[in-house]
Amino acid sequence: MNEIISPGGKRGIPGNLELPLCVERLSNGNTLITDGGDEAGFGSEVIEVDPIGNRVWQFDDQRRLKFAHSSRRMSNGNTLITDTTNNRLLEVTPDKKIVVNSDDWGRGTGKLSDESHLHYPNEAYELEDDTFLITDRNNDRCLVVNRQGKVIWSFGQNELHHPHHANPLPNGNILVSDSDGNRILEVNRKKEIVWSYGDGSTEVLWWPRSAIRLPNGNTLITDTKNHRLLEVTPGGKVVWKFQTEHVDTFYLTHATPQGTFLTSSVDGHHQVIEIDRTCNYVWTFRNYRRPFPVYAGLMNGFFKTREERGEPECWTFATRLSEGGGKLLWDEQNKPRPSPGIELDRDGALFLQQAIAMQPGGVYRVGAEIKTEDVQGSACLQIDFFDAYGGSLFQDITKTPMGELFTGSNPWTSDSFEVRVPVKATYGELRLFLHNKGRAFIKNVMLGKI
Amino acid sequence: MGSFIKGRGERRMVLDSKISEKRKRQCTKLIEISKEIVRQAFDKFKPEELSITWTGGKDSGLTLWIIRQVCQEKGIPLPKTMIIGEGDEFEEIEQFVERIKKEWNVPLEVCRNEDVLKVANYQLNAPVRVKDLNERNRAELSRIGFDEDEFPFEAESYVGNHLMKTVVFNEFLERNKIKGIFQGLRWDEHPARFHDGYFEYKEASELTPEHTRIRPILHFTEKDLWDTYAVFQIPYCVLYERGYRSLGAKTTSLISIEGIPAWRQDLENTEERVGRRQDKEKAMKEMRRLGYM
Repeated sequence: MNEIISPGGKRGIPGNLELPLCVERLSNGNTLITDGGDEAGFGSEVIEVDPIGNRVWQFDDQRRLKFAHSSRRMSNGNTLITDTTNNRLLEVTPDKKIVVNSDDWGRGTGKLSDESHLHYPNEAYELEDDTFLITDRNNDRCLVVNRQGKVIWSFGQNELHHPHHANPLPNGNILVSDSDGNRILEVNRKKEIVWSYGDGSTEVLWWPRSAIRLPNGNTLITDTKNHRLLEVTPGGKVVWKFQTEHVDTFYLTHATPQGTFLTSSVDGHHQVIEIDRTCNYVWTFRNYRRPFPVYAGLMNGFFKTREERGEPECWTFATRLSEGGGKLLWDEQNKPRPSPGIELDRDGALFLQQAIAMQPGGVYRVGAEIKTEDVQGSACLQIDFFDAYGGSLFQDITKTPMGELFTGSNPWTSDSFEVRVPVKATYGELRLFLHNKGRAFIKNVMLGKI
Repeated sequence: MGSFIKGRGERRMVLDSKISEKRKRQCTKLIEISKEIVRQAFDKFKPEELSITWTGGKDSGLTLWIIRQVCQEKGIPLPKTMIIGEGDEFEEIEQFVERIKKEWNVPLEVCRNEDVLKVANYQLNAPVRVKDLNERNRAELSRIGFDEDEFPFEAESYVGNHLMKTVVFNEFLERNKIKGIFQGLRWDEHPARFHDGYFEYKEASELTPEHTRIRPILHFTEKDLWDTYAVFQIPYCVLYERGYRSLGAKTTSLISIEGIPAWRQDLENTEERVGRRQDKEKAMKEMRRLGYM
């Protein structure tokens, strides 16, 4: 009889750091960390920790923050937060009062003066003239607005593709990561690109999500999908590098006054690390308890039981990457019993998954039946493997062992594939994966060692 | 490439000038590497502890031929050979196996999951009720997480594969106290195989007794294999001439290109197993581009 081999914890515990994104070293010596929350959408918060890891401040808007990406301490002592999946900007006082909420703009519609709405904001800085510089990812732009949402300046110009972390430079220019374009741009107020790094190829930069200007004039780039940090000169020469062997998608780097670099380990080891120029870990902050259990073997592959919330028992509906959408469905017409499905109405990703203990080095066969309806991207069965700290062992999703890629509409189809478990794996995560619009259903999941 | 001597179920390719001397040398070298693995196996294990898996297909056929060469050199008989009767066989393969068994004096044991076959009344797609199966089969279904009361008898479904092949294979090992078993796997068949080693030790588990799997032809590509068949005039089943590249159960094996022998198809640029969706490349490219994953 299968059982839980490793229990999970409760979801949404304040202070449990699931997905550190933005990090900032404050002038008081503390560190401000933005937590995006777990894979099922719980636990996004902003925490401030002191040098020995005590939590001295926390904010989650009564559990309403959803995949918040950034928080910055302002000159007035308030904190500026991008509540990303909720598509809003918040300015919060130390006693947790919200004094600016972009939902109030445009007479409560949340619209800016140009009639647009923030769409996936991932960064916001206060500027000297009391305005905000916001990186508006899905609108492919960064913009400057006042506290009432009046657009004063914006830059996109078809040069930005899903940008991150636009930040102001002392010379008045703006440094922004053109993430999907694999490059960094420095833009002046006249919207001219005055410097750039990256030729679009993934070898030079792969989905960079942050660039900051250092006091020495060089630029420190967080080269996310290459799991490294790079320091490049104005002439484009790489003069320093921090590269991890394990796969980790660092989000953003902050340079401390001591000359160290603070960065957040996102899909890797759920921690904040501070490294020096020898690449030694000067300080780390990790406060993670894995919320989901790992089962000794595949459970409920025939979907006979459901949780109260409607999810199949022992399976997790992971919505973090669904861009605010995503629904769990049941095909009630299926015989002999309903089968679960996932539906997405926008360009994002959805998973129905289960963590299972699998023997490192062992070879397994996994099988299921899959049905799809109007899938514009693709749907498939896949298994990801994770190391001891909870980091995926694969560079990107296309390297994850997977079965057939289903597109469009397909009737119930059997699919199975073999997989060899990497020696460093501590568990496998078996998933039904769907991206970019459509519906995918699953039934009769089986897993066996061969 | 060559002409064919007619015979029922088997063909020999006549050595043809299209295989260059250089290529012949390469194939000979590949064979030598395999033979060395086989010799090591005979050093490690006693002959009665060894066994060979055979399907009648091209990979296990080459493996069997190589082992036979080594046995002839050593003056010993072929180790016990097993073939799995999954219940959905091509007549052409059965005929080919019968002829080679006689010609090479192969000590062959045909292994079947008789319990499943009986309950299915030897009929494909017949419903098999789990409670009618024996204890071993029921335990195996539970092991893979199968959770229905019945299933249709199909050789290549997940359940079919497990009961008709995996379970049968492991029972054979147990019954014959086999310590080392030869398999005809190749690296280029399947991504999961890329890290396979020539000798793979398997610890004992509830599913399987302790044993070592020996794969002498891992380093052969599909093209290497067919060129080797030509160089050494190794017999093969006629189905490959008709266009099959990969042979499994009769119902689910598909002809790759009708009428074009396997060795004349585009081995280097197309997949051995047909049925892979063509739009996978495009979908993969799109997935890779997605930053957030």
